[in-house]
Amino acid sequence: MTEQLENRRIFSLLEVTQSVQRTLAERYSSSFWVKAEMNKLNHYPHSGHCYPDLVEKQEGRVIAQLRSVLWKDDYHRINHNFLRVLKTPLKDGIKMLFCAKITFDPIHGLSLRIIDIDPVFSLGELEREKQEAIDRLKSEGIFDRNRKLTLPLLPQRIAVISVQTSKGYADFLKVMENNPYGFKFFHMLFPSLLQGERAVESIIHQLQQVARVQKHFDVVAIIRGGGGEVGLASFNNVSLAREICKFPLPVITGIGHATNETVSEMVAHKNAITPTDLANFLIERFQQSYFPLLQSEQKLLSVLRNRLGQDRRNMLTTAKYFRSVTENVILRHQHVLRASTATILRGTRQQMKKASDSTAEQLVGLQSSIAAFYNLRSSDVDLAEISLKKNLSRNWSQYSQQIDAVARVVRSLDPKNILRRGFTISRADGKLISSVDQVPPTATIETEFVDGKVTSHVKSINKYEREDNV
Amino acid sequence: MSSQSTSMSEKITYSEAFEELQKIVSEIEDGEISVDDLSEKVKRAAFLIQFCKTKLTSTEEDVNKILKTLEMPD
Repeated sequence: MTEQLENRRIFSLLEVTQSVQRTLAERYSSSFWVKAEMNKLNHYPHSGHCYPDLVEKQEGRVIAQLRSVLWKDDYHRINHNFLRVLKTPLKDGIKMLFCAKITFDPIHGLSLRIIDIDPVFSLGELEREKQEAIDRLKSEGIFDRNRKLTLPLLPQRIAVISVQTSKGYADFLKVMENNPYGFKFFHMLFPSLLQGERAVESIIHQLQQVARVQKHFDVVAIIRGGGGEVGLASFNNVSLAREICKFPLPVITGIGHATNETVSEMVAHKNAITPTDLANFLIERFQQSYFPLLQSEQKLLSVLRNRLGQDRRNMLTTAKYFRSVTENVILRHQHVLRASTATILRGTRQQMKKASDSTAEQLVGLQSSIAAFYNLRSSDVDLAEISLKKNLSRNWSQYSQQIDAVARVVRSLDPKNILRRGFTISRADGKLISSVDQVPPTATIETEFVDGKVTSHVKSINKYEREDNV
Repeated sequence: MSSQSTSMSEKITYSEAFEELQKIVSEIEDGEISVDDLSEKVKRAAFLIQFCKTKLTSTEEDVNKILKTLEMPD
């Protein structure tokens, strides 16, 4: 309701906005196609409507921007198309070609109502972006870098970038852990978003984490499963792909089937496509070592057996030969010894006989000499004996006469003969007395006669005057 | 390329062990080795085979150690 205040016409806000609305509606009565970048989708789940921010950039600077609206039903329909064609839903940051109508209303102001979005354009855009990414990486010289890394002979330690609850991750683990050869792997999960707005930065962050502990790992496995083809767009992102190119360990991708390979899959060391195949690939690598290992073991054993068998046979043969040769030698020596012994014996006996004979001769000689000598002496002795006997008998009769003479004298001196002549022996106290001095005055004396003894008492003693008694 | 630490007194990687083993086996097959060397080589080969087999079926990496490293600031 227009007011009049003094000379000025005063309008309410509603009047102003409605006027703008009428003007714009008149001017922009039909829809038209617009090319712009959808910075943010701004989808509100409770109402289902989206309010995308649209921008146009030139050399990175925003030169135009406008808010837009996408009503729920339109959104659903368009999203469905997008999924069908691009395998990705509407999301932030896509360049699009859309059909829109200018709208203005007093409350919400100016807006662009999006009626339809052409997915083919966006697809083309995506393809273009993808190709741009590839070109950029090639020009930086790093496109092949990860592929040129050498996969270790034994890719035993695996850093897994995946979602904990991912079916792909579960499949991967199952194959790894149930491998029939008993191969042992070490794997550690670095959880990450693999889809949606934040996927790229999340994956890059985890790659950087793995890089910090790279000496504990041999490979990186990026695993995704069960999402079909939707959500692979993140893997065309140039920053993510670059991170993979420059990564110091081989990166293997198992993120699912795609009609065309994503950039990340192209630059990865190997694209195993599915998580199961990724696991099998690793197990095969192990087998590539394992079978030669077993073979080597077998070869070693059989060669050894042969060699040792051969050597043992040689050894036995040599031993036998050695033995027979030695026996011969010993026998020969024994013969020689025996012969020598016999010879020695014979010789010795001969010598001894000779010696003994000569000794015997000498003995005989000696005997005869002694005998001769003895005879000589014996006859001397005989002669001497004869002469001795003669002398003796001569002297004997001489002596015998002399002895007889002496015997006669002695007989005559025998006290008995003296006693016979009348002499007597006097004794006092048993003692022979030959002098009156020897007779005690009052003693008894004993007188021996030739035929007996008389005992008498001394009456008196009369000593003669000294005279010679002959 | 990461090298693996082992608890054996000798630090050797799987690749090195594998290569050495192949070499020894071919030497033995060629019959170039004398009986004395044979004993040495066989022992070495047996050791290498055991080493490789062990590597295939066991690993010493520790998750906790890695987590600790990651927890530390860059």
